[in-house]
Amino acid sequence: MGAPAAPVGVLLALPQRVGAFLLALATQIGGVTILLGQILRRLNPARIDRHELFRNLNRMGVRSVPIISATAAFTGGIMVVQAAPFVEQFNAKGFIGWAATFTTFRELGPLLIGLIFNGRVGANNTAELGTMQVTDQVDALRALAIDPIAYLVVPRVLAMISMMVVLTILGDAIALGGAMLTADLLLDVDPRIFWASAIERLETWDFFVGLIKSLLFGVMIALMSCYYGLATRGGAPGVGRAVNASVVASAAGVFIADYFSTFVLD
Amino acid sequence: MAFTARAENVSPLAALKNVLQDALAVARVGRRTMHYLIRGKREPGSVARQMFAIGNQSLFFMCITMAFIGAIITFQTGLQSKKLVPDFSMIGATYLKLLIRDLAASVGALPLATRVGAGIAAEIGSMVVTEQVDALRMCAADPVDYLVVPRFIASVIMGTVILIIGGFVAYGSGMLVAQLMFDVSPHTFTNLSLVTMGDLVLGVSKAVTYGGAIALVSGQRGLATFGGSEGVGWATTEAVVGSCFAIIVLNLVISTIGYFFVPAL
Amino acid sequence: MIRLEDVHLAFGDNTVLDGVSLEVPPACIYALIGPGAAGKSVLFKVVAGLLRPASGKVFVDDEELGPLNEIELARVRKKIGMLFQNYALFDMNVAENIAFPLRRLFDLSEEEIAERVAERLERVALPGTEHRIPQSMSGGQKKRIGVARATIARPPIVLYDEPTAGLDPVTSQKIYDLVQEEQRAQDTTVMVISSDVAGVLTIADRVGMLHEGRLIFDGTTDDAKASTDPAVRQFVHGLTEGPL
Ligand SMILES: Nc1ncnc2c1ncn2[C@@H]1O[C@H](COP(=O)(O)OP(=O)(O)OP(=O)(O)O)[C@@H](O)[C@H]1O
Ligand SMILES: [Mg+2]
Repeated sequence: MGAPAAPVGVLLALPQRVGAFLLALATQIGGVTILLGQILRRLNPARIDRHELFRNLNRMGVRSVPIISATAAFTGGIMVVQAAPFVEQFNAKGFIGWAATFTTFRELGPLLIGLIFNGRVGANNTAELGTMQVTDQVDALRALAIDPIAYLVVPRVLAMISMMVVLTILGDAIALGGAMLTADLLLDVDPRIFWASAIERLETWDFFVGLIKSLLFGVMIALMSCYYGLATRGGAPGVGRAVNASVVASAAGVFIADYFSTFVLD
Repeated sequence: MAFTARAENVSPLAALKNVLQDALAVARVGRRTMHYLIRGKREPGSVARQMFAIGNQSLFFMCITMAFIGAIITFQTGLQSKKLVPDFSMIGATYLKLLIRDLAASVGALPLATRVGAGIAAEIGSMVVTEQVDALRMCAADPVDYLVVPRFIASVIMGTVILIIGGFVAYGSGMLVAQLMFDVSPHTFTNLSLVTMGDLVLGVSKAVTYGGAIALVSGQRGLATFGGSEGVGWATTEAVVGSCFAIIVLNLVISTIGYFFVPAL
Repeated sequence: MIRLEDVHLAFGDNTVLDGVSLEVPPACIYALIGPGAAGKSVLFKVVAGLLRPASGKVFVDDEELGPLNEIELARVRKKIGMLFQNYALFDMNVAENIAFPLRRLFDLSEEEIAERVAERLERVALPGTEHRIPQSMSGGQKKRIGVARATIARPPIVLYDEPTAGLDPVTSQKIYDLVQEEQRAQDTTVMVISSDVAGVLTIADRVGMLHEGRLIFDGTTDDAKASTDPAVRQFVHGLTEGPL
């Protein structure tokens, strides 16, 4: 709980804060890169704990299906509600199917599912690794000659990346279902017209752009959440802080990855 | 919270039941918040402190995020309209309208919820597991009154302010992308002709609602924390997911009301 | 006066209180002893209305807590001061921590508050520490700040959870003397949890022993010392031989 500082203090503190921010950023990027290197080393040759991998696939993937489905369905609906006035004005009912699929595949699906996945799975992962860290369980693994990166991190990272892609495909489908339903109810667009316009104009590439994005987001979230989890220090408040930092860093990472991939993948 | 159920196995039916129970729990906290909003004993400075905390935590983050979002949306819209009508004269006007009516509030609210919601839940959750909340209750300080209400007020006010600032930033970055990628001059891009008073009202009421929802969901999750340091981590997760979900549901509700009562064109 | 009638409480399938009935008469010091995880701290929280029992009744000054809602409970809690086992101090400085109940419960001037805070700190042998941050203090110091906070509003009932844990023998005795003096001066009703059985028995009027969620002994201090129950005997006299 910081006290409100005087405006002058804030102004003077700004350069200092930007500096501190850049320093922290450099540390974190360095830490994440080192973690990535350590993971890649363990993948060649691949020695993956199968049991841990399947446990995480289930926990992170299957358990996320309800929230992803609900979010996607609502988002599909919202998309059409927002577009509805324009569709009516320009009499573009023949285009709505294409507009909805294009937006969902290329942008909305991966981004939204990335954000929810970050909140649900990424935060969770940081909390779990962080708790293991502050209760000395990670050191206990080391003492038992078990490599924490190979045992804890690699299966989680693989599970998160693959599940992010799979959940994006599922989310895309459900969002389009929601969009189709809303278009039918609100704008009287026949589902057949909806799909016809999508198939006519959509390119396969649009779909793959989204998948590549979701893969990138998965990598971001997986690396960040493991990094912050293992870097946790300082008891219960430390775990809270780590989760907080991880969620925010992953969200920023997702937006930045989205920005660059949007331009590169065009 | 059902979506983030700690148990490894939860049937879909039980999950649905949990969602409803959580929604009820949040509603109860909401009712008590309203009660104390009118009757409560405000500690002087507590709201200002929370407003500062929220602003301090999230303004920088939100500006960066919204700059990227604005660039992405403009780029995607440009791509899309290039295929339909290769005419960019209205892209700025349409973008501005959408931004005000929905995107600035609804898209911005997700990263805002991530930042502010996680902060609220982690802070209150740590107080729960260290028994500070019990100590508060022993001093006739209802935790809803003492902890949630100031955060609620601060989140409504600061959340709205930050979402509006974020909207400006997104508009600016959109303008930049329009100029660089589609050769739309800032002059053409800055076009207020499509914006109505209704859009403004709709956008601001969304921002206000989201600000309140983030504080209530995250406050409730924080107060419901149990189980030591791991519990704080869980509460934080649940606050982020719960707030995002609440925002999406509220968006659909408000947007649908807006469609019928605040005609867009 | 505090009375529990057949109180049951469980966390999931961990039964913590399994039919506890006890009565603490007014103006009495009641020592609650028992091995770790017996449910002592949980019992305090039940008395303070912080935890609701699954079944059974809890009375504080002849008022039953069961039917009260959170706002009505706050009225009962004003009568109770509580020292938490793990301090539960706020992220504020020492003076603000101790003054907190005063500010919430009464309308006093700043001078009066400062005066009473200083008086409390004097009593717990920490004078002049008003502006320190509790997080940076030792366990024993935090305990004493907790004692000061629990008693500053002069509540008619005080619950002390391990008031002397982490204190050296001299300071421990000072705290026991403080508890006893204040109880005698204001006729408060006091419950004390303590692992320092010998120490707490020097001030207690009555003793209760909790074991696996049941009250296996309830009587006067002299009765406790003379008890022939093997578990009570072992605990009161600190023997290694016995059922515990
Ligand atoms: N908030 C809680 N959630 C779940 N279980 C709890 C909670 N509080 C206490 N317990 C459980 O209740 C039991 C009794 O705990 P309690 O703190 O009352 O023990 P105690 O007698 O005070 O022990 P100690 O002397 O070690 O302080 C323990 O098994 C503990 O794990
Ligand atoms: Mg205890």
